[in-house]
Amino acid sequence: MIDPAVGAMLAGAFALLFVSAALDKLRSLQGFAEVFRAYRLLPDGVARLSWLVPALELTVGVGLLARRSRAGAGAAGAALLVAYAAAIAINLQRGRRDLACGCGGPHARRPIAAWMAWRNLLLAGLLAPMLLPWIVRPMAAADAVTIGAGTAVAALLYMSLDRLLAQVTPRTAPLRGSR
Amino acid sequence: MTALAVSNVVLWILVLLLSVVVLALVRQLGVLHERIAPAGALMLNRGPAVGEPAPILEVADLEGHAHRVGAARADGRSTLLLFVSPTCPVCKSLLPAVKSSGKDERAWMDVILASDGDTFEQRQFVRSQGLDGIPYVVSAALGLAYQVGRLPFAALLDEHGILRARGLVNSREHLESLFEAKRLGVASLQEYFSGAL
Repeated sequence: MIDPAVGAMLAGAFALLFVSAALDKLRSLQGFAEVFRAYRLLPDGVARLSWLVPALELTVGVGLLARRSRAGAGAAGAALLVAYAAAIAINLQRGRRDLACGCGGPHARRPIAAWMAWRNLLLAGLLAPMLLPWIVRPMAAADAVTIGAGTAVAALLYMSLDRLLAQVTPRTAPLRGSR
Repeated sequence: MTALAVSNVVLWILVLLLSVVVLALVRQLGVLHERIAPAGALMLNRGPAVGEPAPILEVADLEGHAHRVGAARADGRSTLLLFVSPTCPVCKSLLPAVKSSGKDERAWMDVILASDGDTFEQRQFVRSQGLDGIPYVVSAALGLAYQVGRLPFAALLDEHGILRARGLVNSREHLESLFEAKRLGVASLQEYFSGAL
């Protein structure tokens, strides 16, 4: 049992995450198909179905917002995140450190990294509360503030961390140990 | 209870603002890193190649001590060979950086200054710039061996006499780029950044 304010905040934040990820991929389906093929995990014939990934993300994102579909969407979202983590980990094992991750829009060419796999596992873990039923209690106006502001802060902090880990840290790491 | 509710709302607003500021700062950090990547020493495509043994030359400094520049060193120290001239104004402005770098890096590296031309003028230059204590070699052969065309030019040799980095150095940043290039195992910082981006 979790508090509805906390549950709604989590659901809102993950809905934002999945919908924005789906929109990034839908903006350039062709580009995403190339990235999908480049991961070299599924035969090329299956890569033609790569549009299913953003479709699934969109479904999960919207599904998290409705009470009935929340548990199912949470489980599917967690499975998706674990699958991404596995795809990144397998390609890192293959030594392909220059593979574009396919995240962050069609113009962002970021190489995959270990922290992305760990991040995805952590996010999948955070989706677990979506499977729990919510406590029934009357909602007050303060709850709206908690849910709205909490979701926005979570999204902003996620974007900051993402930038920091993807853009800033890789550039400073080699320069740090100079003396 | 109302006081708590008000304080809660105010806190949320402040946390939101703070998150926006953090995101803006992180974005600026990313932009800054792109803009001010360190500049490396300019490489000219002539002279001995980086990664190959440097030419071994027997030279004597103004004090009369003999140096085997380019030979492998038993004490495991590297050598920074810096070509300067009394007539080169940039060299004069670089010399304080050379002195302090030589001090900072003295654990693993010796500095040798090299020049060419009239010995009297060179001695005056050494005196006026306070270069006592740094070996100062006057040798045309050294400059020819490294094909030095423009000054100030630096070459970093490792303990085996292998040329690790070289280039035109106009500032402390350029000078230190040679140490970084050796440490990172690349021929120049330019090569490192073109590989990293």
